Amino acid sequence: MKEWYAAFRQGLSIENPLTVLMIGLCATLAVSTQVQNAVFMGFAVVFVLTMSNVIVSAFRRQIPTEVRIPIFIVVIASFVTIVDLSMNAFVPGIYQVLGIWIPLIVVNCVILGRAEAFAYHNRVSLSIADGLGMGIGYWSVIVLLAALRELFGTGRIVWFDTALVQLPSGYQPPGLLLLFPGAFLVFGFMIAGSRWANEKLEARKEARACRP
Amino acid sequence: MSTVSQMALLFIGAALVNNILLTRFIGLCPFFGVSGNMETSLGMSLAVVFVMTMASSATWVVWQYVLEPLGVGEFLYIPAFILIIASLVQFVEMYLRKASPVLYRAMGIYLPLITTNCAVLAAATESAKPGFFKLNIALGSSLSLGEALVYTLGVSVGFGFALVTFAALRERLELAPVSRLFKGTPIAFITASLLSLAYIGFSGWFGL
Repeated sequence: MKEWYAAFRQGLSIENPLTVLMIGLCATLAVSTQVQNAVFMGFAVVFVLTMSNVIVSAFRRQIPTEVRIPIFIVVIASFVTIVDLSMNAFVPGIYQVLGIWIPLIVVNCVILGRAEAFAYHNRVSLSIADGLGMGIGYWSVIVLLAALRELFGTGRIVWFDTALVQLPSGYQPPGLLLLFPGAFLVFGFMIAGSRWANEKLEARKEARACRP
Repeated sequence: MSTVSQMALLFIGAALVNNILLTRFIGLCPFFGVSGNMETSLGMSLAVVFVMTMASSATWVVWQYVLEPLGVGEFLYIPAFILIIASLVQFVEMYLRKASPVLYRAMGIYLPLITTNCAVLAAATESAKPGFFKLNIALGSSLSLGEALVYTLGVSVGFGFALVTFAALRERLELAPVSRLFKGTPIAFITASLLSLAYIGFSGWFGL
């Protein structure tokens, strides 16, 4: 259980795929204009990541090393097709916006990377933990980025036509944040922010360790 | 679309106006991953031009003569295209190692990386079934093989151009005095933001 928790925790902090490893950026930056889209994109990634981890880990003794990459890709592509078709059927409005990004989850380096680095060498239960941890780490960053961009770019956060948060009406939203350059800009500041937070945490840990 | 000027328009539209990296956010991993120095980004750009053009002619043929006639394109295109790209890349790598060691040394190590580059999958899908990725509004409902080739060449050259420009900027940035927290990746993102702002300026061209 302790092992399971450790694998789960890794994706959330020290090995966060987005802010630390900087992989799988494309979709993150592109769909993060609205919290609503980001939430669904994040769920799609969590699902594909966890399921492909399970399958890869379950068959890890049968998959020959030489052809493992094509096999991983086929496994991932099947789960992506499942997500693609079901989102098209159940949330067509969201699919209209995300449509182009769902197929591209196949080549999202986070998923192939976890299949290769973790699931291929570990047992199923740990791979589930890793998939969930990495997925939730991804999910939280993409939702936070979208929240920042939507809040400051439009002045409010909308969830299915109801405003959750509204800035005072005197606020003049800079439309730049919703455009492509805005994503880079906000994400740059987010990485700097996460570094700052990590430094603070380290400093506190050291201070505690020094105390007799 | 058949005349030379229309082909040129298609090329420029794909390379600059709808630049796949900076206005569409596709293929960003290598954009930040290998842009640390000029030489690697040149090698990567070369490899992308090469693989993308070959991959999209392959997917075009498969879509036109296999998937579409059989009526299975709608749910089989993702696995089919990604497998085509992956095996093509493997094949090209083996061939290059044998036939042209010079070229292999220039872009060999980038070839396997390109398999998981979404830019290749996006461009290949777009040239097989245009309009799907909305990469270029000027594209019609279907492309001839020639148009598909010109289009992908445009996309990949645009990719290379943006990558090399960004690498040049980052090399300069190494020497610039940057605040401690922003050093490295964060300032690279902010630079990319300014570069992408410049590319938005192209969107006024020919109303594409």
